Amino acid sequence: MSTLEEILQKAENLLQPFAQSSNRPESNRLDVYLSRENLIPAVKALVEARWGYLSTITGIDRPAAVLEEGQTSEQGEIEVLYSFCSGAAIVSLRVRVPYADAVLPSICPLIPSATLGERELMEMFGVKVEGTPDTSRLILADSWPEGVYPLRKSFVPAARFSGGAEGG
Amino acid sequence: MTFEQHGENRFVVPIGPQHPALKEPGHFEFVVDGEIVTGASVRLGYVHRGIEKGAEDRTWTQNLYLMERICGICSHIHATAFVQGVEKLAGVEAPPRARAIREIFAELERIHSHMLWLGVAAHEGGFDALFMYSWRDREVVMDMLEMLSGNRVHYSANLIGGVKYDLTPEMTDKIREGLNYLEERLAHYLDVVNNDETFIGRTRGIGTMTREQAQLLGAVGPTARASNFAYDVRVDAPYAAYAEFPVEMVVAQEGDLHARFVVRILETMESIRVLRRIFENMPESELVTRVPRRIPAGETISRVEAPRGELFYFIASGGGEKPERVKVRTPSLCNWGTVITLAVGHKLADMPMILAGIDPCFSCNDRLVMVKRNRQDPQVWTWADLRNYGIEYYR
Repeated sequence: MSTLEEILQKAENLLQPFAQSSNRPESNRLDVYLSRENLIPAVKALVEARWGYLSTITGIDRPAAVLEEGQTSEQGEIEVLYSFCSGAAIVSLRVRVPYADAVLPSICPLIPSATLGERELMEMFGVKVEGTPDTSRLILADSWPEGVYPLRKSFVPAARFSGGAEGG
Repeated sequence: MTFEQHGENRFVVPIGPQHPALKEPGHFEFVVDGEIVTGASVRLGYVHRGIEKGAEDRTWTQNLYLMERICGICSHIHATAFVQGVEKLAGVEAPPRARAIREIFAELERIHSHMLWLGVAAHEGGFDALFMYSWRDREVVMDMLEMLSGNRVHYSANLIGGVKYDLTPEMTDKIREGLNYLEERLAHYLDVVNNDETFIGRTRGIGTMTREQAQLLGAVGPTARASNFAYDVRVDAPYAAYAEFPVEMVVAQEGDLHARFVVRILETMESIRVLRRIFENMPESELVTRVPRRIPAGETISRVEAPRGELFYFIASGGGEKPERVKVRTPSLCNWGTVITLAVGHKLADMPMILAGIDPCFSCNDRLVMVKRNRQDPQVWTWADLRNYGIEYYR
């Protein structure tokens, strides 16, 4: 049995050629920041070395920061985490894509079970996943309007329950 | 998951969304050639409630209650995954006794969940006597949970930093008594599952998944362990009190429906064993530790072993009153992929049991949609509307 440190070190070595940077946010975690072009080779390196399994794909909306003059500092981005687990170790491949060009390659040819995560990413965050085998709706209702992505920060539900204030 | 490979002359049998096998909504389309299934697809989302979005609009404490309501079967484990993540962000650890109590609730929950499943899966196969007996016996563990917390479904045992309920020696005695009875019953069910000829006829060699398939398809929990894909968060990355009171991982080689029954029954017996160990060596400490008012900015990943497999929480804090992002990946979502693949080559009549075989939980997957008023104007329900509707309905 390898120790947690050895398992993480192995992943770090495998991913090193593709990483823009990496850090250890917690003792059992390794975060590796990648450019979109290196996503497939990085996933391939983990899969071919049989390093753990893909646990989930997490999308995070990073809207543009608003400066004082009402102008935005940079354009909004969607950050996507591909989290792989091996024992207690968790490696997250982190890729950022801008709203204007929110496109990622599908990792389904390497990991078929990623399809559900990729469909969720498309519906909830509006990231186009190129080459994913199934683009039909998984979660949202058939009547849900096109181009509305509920997990983006800019999406505000029409009526919010605010802690019982509304006659709760 | 597409039909492309099946050409023009396909015959599609739609099943669901109402009552596809379990009494929860999911829509399946099975492509058949005579009686044999040649392709399958799934459509979820019928009970999406917008919980991940809703989490961003609620305080850390409100979210504890919201997360517990993701699922009515494994409610405690959702709250546990959430509080453990928040505690990591806050840099605190729950006291030893609180962690042991979390494990007690989690294992009682696993017993009730596996027994619920045993009944449902038996029912899908037409073994209604087994269904009724296992649900009758499940009441024993439901009574234990009610005795501990006052609740049968949402026990609300967790607080950020600890637990609410303590166990008295009288309570543990009562639970021990119940566990003795359940152990006897489970031994009987194991005997039925292994030796009843008609039962074996419907389970052995059905829906077989190899270890490689389980890994490739991303199976988790008992579904994966029945295919000898040995991982269990309780063992691999112990949380709560699993380091002090470890469980033995239960695996099987066969990978068929029968193995899924055996693994779950043996796991339930293992839960009983570990509960007895905790009662013998219950740590003494306070129940709650002090937690800072503000949860510092940061990100964490919290993983736990729900009855159905690995449950994954990604929690991001911006340092404010509310989380920036809470991502919940439930075990059932992982296991759907296996059903779609395993269905191929089997008789349509085997589908309900194969579906039930992964112990799917729809409300776990389905968390993200708005409830709409079924009227001319598709206006969204407000909290007050829902409340009034509820009052009117039961008047």
